[in-house]
Amino acid sequence: MSEQPGRDRHRWQTLLLVVATLIIALGAIAAAVIFAGRLDEIIFLRFPLGFYLLAQGLLIGLVALAFWSTRVQEHIDRRLSEGEEL
Amino acid sequence: MRAPSRPHQANPNLGAYYGIFTSAFVCLVILLAMFEQLGWQETWLARSMMLAPLVLYLAIALYTRTLDVEEFFASGRRVPPVYNGAVLAAALVGGTGFFAYTGTLFFLGFDALAIGLAWTTGLLVSGLLFVPYLRKAGAYTLPAFLGHRFRSRSLRAMASLLQLPPAAFLLAAEIKIAALISVMFLPVSYQLAVAAVAAMIAWVTIVGGMRSLTWTATAQFIVSAVGFAVPLIIVTVLFTNVPAPQLTYGEMFEPLKRSESIVGISPTAPGELATALPAAQPKPSIKPFLQAFGALSQTDFLTLFLCLTLGTAALPSLLARSGVTSSVADQRRSVAWAAFFVALFAISAPALATFVRHLMFQDIAQAPASALPAWFNDLSAHRLIVTQDANADGAIEASELFVARDGIALALPMAARLPFVCTALMAAAGIAVALAAASSHLFTIAGSLADDFIRPIDPRNEVLPRIVVAWVAIAATALSAGVFLALADIDVLQAAVTALAFAAATFFPTLLLAIWWKRCTWLGAMLALGVGVAAMAAALAFGGTPVADQFRLTTVIAALMGAALGLIAGLIGSVIGPKPSPAQLAYFEELGDPGGDALYDRALRRAAAAASQ
Repeated sequence: MSEQPGRDRHRWQTLLLVVATLIIALGAIAAAVIFAGRLDEIIFLRFPLGFYLLAQGLLIGLVALAFWSTRVQEHIDRRLSEGEEL
Repeated sequence: MRAPSRPHQANPNLGAYYGIFTSAFVCLVILLAMFEQLGWQETWLARSMMLAPLVLYLAIALYTRTLDVEEFFASGRRVPPVYNGAVLAAALVGGTGFFAYTGTLFFLGFDALAIGLAWTTGLLVSGLLFVPYLRKAGAYTLPAFLGHRFRSRSLRAMASLLQLPPAAFLLAAEIKIAALISVMFLPVSYQLAVAAVAAMIAWVTIVGGMRSLTWTATAQFIVSAVGFAVPLIIVTVLFTNVPAPQLTYGEMFEPLKRSESIVGISPTAPGELATALPAAQPKPSIKPFLQAFGALSQTDFLTLFLCLTLGTAALPSLLARSGVTSSVADQRRSVAWAAFFVALFAISAPALATFVRHLMFQDIAQAPASALPAWFNDLSAHRLIVTQDANADGAIEASELFVARDGIALALPMAARLPFVCTALMAAAGIAVALAAASSHLFTIAGSLADDFIRPIDPRNEVLPRIVVAWVAIAATALSAGVFLALADIDVLQAAVTALAFAAATFFPTLLLAIWWKRCTWLGAMLALGVGVAAMAAALAFGGTPVADQFRLTTVIAALMGAALGLIAGLIGSVIGPKPSPAQLAYFEELGDPGGDALYDRALRRAAAAASQ
């Protein structure tokens, strides 16, 4: 058993967030590349969907993911500091 | 020794200062547009558009000069996240991205999207895996962090040497692209332009180090954003009536497909990864813009994407800025802002490439070879395009139109017949972002050489003060880069890809282990770095070298192999070698705590307290 359970919990939550974010980002990119040919048959906002995803959609998603993960990490960090102050 | 105990608060007037700067630059553009209508010559318009911002950059650098060590190496740790994000974005995209990426999009269309996607993903990965921990460590350079983490001077010196190749390739590429664009519009030779650019970035970094670099690069970011956006938005309004190129350039795809068909462009089969990226020399565009995987196969697309992602995440020039904000949380936010700015550019660049392609192919599809529009002559005068009716059929086909990769961004305002001031504005924007990136790469190399390589020889700064050593290193690095470019030729895109591949092979596995694995030791980190270098050396020796016409993209595959093997070697080296010391374990534990001061600042304060007793 660790002497600092709050620190351990913080470390695991951080790791979970990192892994989840990376899986979402890389999974979405891999899927978009693998199915790009088929997705291109669908037209979205006058763009072939496969092209749109790689040129814009995924980039917007990555930026949203970056800000979301930053927010969640700040929440995790705040809980650690509050726990240590008690 | 001075203890950095003052609060890290940003200047509250920054918004006002940069608002004034932006207004002044916009006024300059409007004024020159009016002068053009009044009959000013193009040469004077170009000189005014390029030299006036340069004077402002030099003035900002002078105004932000400093002799304070923390200001010089870490910008006082009080750069707001948005500003740091802007500088990170400028350093990553640079003139190479501005000119060579837009050109690559023109030639490869869909397949080039791997690059922009990799930049954004790399920043996301960096923000998750490395940056917050480097901010907590607070070391002024990336090698210094590794030295502190493993209590090893030899590892620090080795890392300092190994960050030379990626930063030096990028530095050379950025100076070259800035010099090439300057030569097109200013009455200077290429050698003189290289010397001027090297002197300019040396001045900016010598007077204030990271501080003057940050505030000058912020101004350069603004100029590059305005210069890129204004011509693109004007062209978009002309074609689609909506000032949002990112949303509307899809309307151009149907006419573009028709033009491509008329000029003889038909679907292609993917070639080798090694030769897929276009070279700088003028060449015909033969692949349909929207065709997926016509130049790069699906596997090669993913390979290139992964290599550039890892390289971006572990690029020393970006990680060197990990200590400039006031807290770990601010540093995370700054990377998210950097991803936003880079994504905005990566989303807009395909629009620019689409419009240029549409304009070029529409005009050669409609006009006979003997009566091409005047803008063809303008581009030919700058050696950006070459046309030759090889089969003498009276028409120019796609295979007879040779286009220079790095001139696509400049071709947009010319091909759209916009006033010349828009062309000069685009050129000034490209030079601005190239200067910002070159300054960042220069400071990364010189700061590390001074602080990680030379300073250990004189740790108490008895021979020379710390900043004087940095000045000497900056001047020597800039001079070396200038001399190298005067003697050798490099392809800027290939140099940039090699730099990112090198960072992916060496620093990615090392940092991953150092930050995320408690058991990682000095030996493991050394082996991870060493294996990565060996993989890249093998690729460069047997697969090609990073100079024009000889480059082979096998470096991309070697980078991924180097990263994977480096990770394995690091794991094995850490397990079989001696266990980490209690001091190393304590340092690792502290890295994970997001609160409190930077570890380096804390150590400085302890040393100052000990010295005063």
